[in-house]
Amino acid sequence: MIVPYSHVLLLSALLFVVGMLCAVGRRNLIMILLGLEVMLNAGAIAFVGAALRWQQIEGQTVVIFVLAIAAAEVSIGLALIVWAYRRTESLDPERLQDLDTAEPL
Amino acid sequence: MTIPVPPDTLTLTAALLAVLLPLLSFGMIMLVFRHRRRLCARISIGAVSVSLLCALFLLIDHWHLNTPIRHTATWMVSGRITVSVGFLLDPISLLMLTIVAAISFLVQVYSLGYMAHDPGFSRYYGFMSLFAWAMLCLVISPNLLQLYIFWELVGLSSYLLIGFWYQKFSASTAGKKAFVMTRLGDVAFFLGLLLVLFNLGNLDILEMNAGRMPLNIPPATITLAAVLIFGGIIGKSAQFPLLTWLPDAMEGPTPVSALLHSATMVAAGVFLFGRLFPFFSQSSGAMTFFLFTGTTSMLLAATMAMVSRDIKQVWAYSTISQLGFMIMGLSAGGYAAGIFHLTTHAGFKALLFLCSGVFIHIFETNDMFAIGRAGGRRLKVPMACMAIAAAALAGLPPFSGFFSKEAIMGQLAQMANPLWLAAGLLGAFLTAYYAFRLIFVILFPRRDDTDRPPQNAHAAHAGNDGHRRAYRQMAVPLIVLATVTLVLGWGQAGLEAFLMRTAASVVHTAEAHPAAWLPYTALGLALAGILLAWVEFGRRRAAQIGFVERMPRVHRLFAERWYLDHFYRRFLERIIYGGISALCTRNDRRVIDGGLDALGRSTVAASRRLSLLHDAALQARMMLIFVVMALLSLYFLFA
Repeated sequence: MIVPYSHVLLLSALLFVVGMLCAVGRRNLIMILLGLEVMLNAGAIAFVGAALRWQQIEGQTVVIFVLAIAAAEVSIGLALIVWAYRRTESLDPERLQDLDTAEPL
Repeated sequence: MTIPVPPDTLTLTAALLAVLLPLLSFGMIMLVFRHRRRLCARISIGAVSVSLLCALFLLIDHWHLNTPIRHTATWMVSGRITVSVGFLLDPISLLMLTIVAAISFLVQVYSLGYMAHDPGFSRYYGFMSLFAWAMLCLVISPNLLQLYIFWELVGLSSYLLIGFWYQKFSASTAGKKAFVMTRLGDVAFFLGLLLVLFNLGNLDILEMNAGRMPLNIPPATITLAAVLIFGGIIGKSAQFPLLTWLPDAMEGPTPVSALLHSATMVAAGVFLFGRLFPFFSQSSGAMTFFLFTGTTSMLLAATMAMVSRDIKQVWAYSTISQLGFMIMGLSAGGYAAGIFHLTTHAGFKALLFLCSGVFIHIFETNDMFAIGRAGGRRLKVPMACMAIAAAALAGLPPFSGFFSKEAIMGQLAQMANPLWLAAGLLGAFLTAYYAFRLIFVILFPRRDDTDRPPQNAHAAHAGNDGHRRAYRQMAVPLIVLATVTLVLGWGQAGLEAFLMRTAASVVHTAEAHPAAWLPYTALGLALAGILLAWVEFGRRRAAQIGFVERMPRVHRLFAERWYLDHFYRRFLERIIYGGISALCTRNDRRVIDGGLDALGRSTVAASRRLSLLHDAALQARMMLIFVVMALLSLYFLFA
């Protein structure tokens, strides 16, 4: 391997943390979705590095699955964000907190 | 202890028939034949007449009884304590059986006329049968527990009959008052029972009467038990301080007053005294207390009777007074004298009430002045019978009351302290006064221009057939009772011998040989009372105002029952409602309700806190997930 496996894992971990910080620390629903995407891709990188390390193609197969799943999830997530935006007129997740005790539409 | 003998078959049958038939009658009337009025009356009168015949048979058959007859069946056993039911026949119970059955029979026949048009006719006869059953079983009880059960049942039938016309508020209130006041006495009675039970192991009457040696109970305990049991007697026989329920009990129909509240039920207390006479007489302190209570009741009630205008109330106060007199006689050691006076009193007091009932029924008023003005004197049979009974009450010879009163006076004269005899003589004077005050007011009315005799008086006298038959049904018992009042006096010696036959071993009554001047003094005082009543009420130009009524404050004291009712009302309001029930209400509201409310409130508050977990706090939850993941990975990395 040109790059040692530990470096790939380090990159993956760093990307994961970045994605986590983005998802948890930003007051924006779309940023949560972005963070989720980043976390998913970080995991994919780890899988690719593992496939290279152990010379098995299954790692890359998993990456294809992950991409497909990410796409499906984004579509549903965006639909939900549109609903939430229509409901609360903002993209702030805190505005969604008291929905269960608020008056039904 | 007297060893009782078991009964022979005839006695057993007669006793069981006598006491159980009224129960059967009650059941059939209340459950089955309610709608058929005349049949109900026939069932009830039939049952009580069979009871009367059985009682008379038993009395005559066992006139020379030497040992009591007892028959019991075990009902419950618990460790050392055995509860049995059955009957105990000895002279006092045989005598009481006859008295109760006879007066019940006469009153039920009388009620045919009195209650003829009442809508509750069947219910009335049902309750009368219930009372007859309860009272008959009470007098033959062999142990105090059975007696207590029937004591309460008698109180129940009294409540039902006083409040018979329940639509009338005063009647139902009077019933409730009677029940609650007697219940108060019964609490003391029950405590006394428990005391005896714990010390003796059972409540058998023959064992309790066995005398000091076999009992092995410390004297202080005997005194306490005696005083507590006497509490029940105070309640039931309307003695001081629980006497105000009896005048109010006159709200019931007059035959009920005649049966329950003069001759039989209130006499149950005196009967209990006689029953437990050997037990009570072991404690001279208790007997002195009883003497004091009886004297107080006698004098207080006599004063109340002196100012009353209501014909039934006068006889109600008189009953309280005479019961006090009986208790005085018994407490002074006069067993036979007290029981004899109980017998004669039952006769003439029932007669007084029944005569008054005729007047009330025809003139529809209880006020004696109104009855007099409306022409009460023209009804010959009731007027004559009432005069005879009043003479017996006042203690005039040759009526039965004279003999029984003299017997008690003789016993009182034996006491060391002359105070009791003086009180008895004063009581005799007052009794004659108030009895004849009533007689003279009715006999010699003052005609007022504004008065008109009510229509009913003419109707009843001119009589259509229904009224005539009712009048006859009411008149016959009156004549029977008047005859009894006339002749019973001569039975005194025989009756006393009968009573003392089984009791002589444990009843240490000194034979009362009174001083020679005593009968004349008592008779003289009675005549003086009658003379005073004549002077004030009977003479042609008398003002019909008693000497007490001329003293307004004394008059008000007597008329307000010595403010006893006021005292009770204030006691109830301040101490019971204001104190105890206020405390309990506060406990109920603050402690019990408050505790439960606080439990509910705290549950809701906790759930509010916990519901924060439900909040859609998106990012906080994600944060939590990642933290846990990091911790887990650290764990797997290093462990």
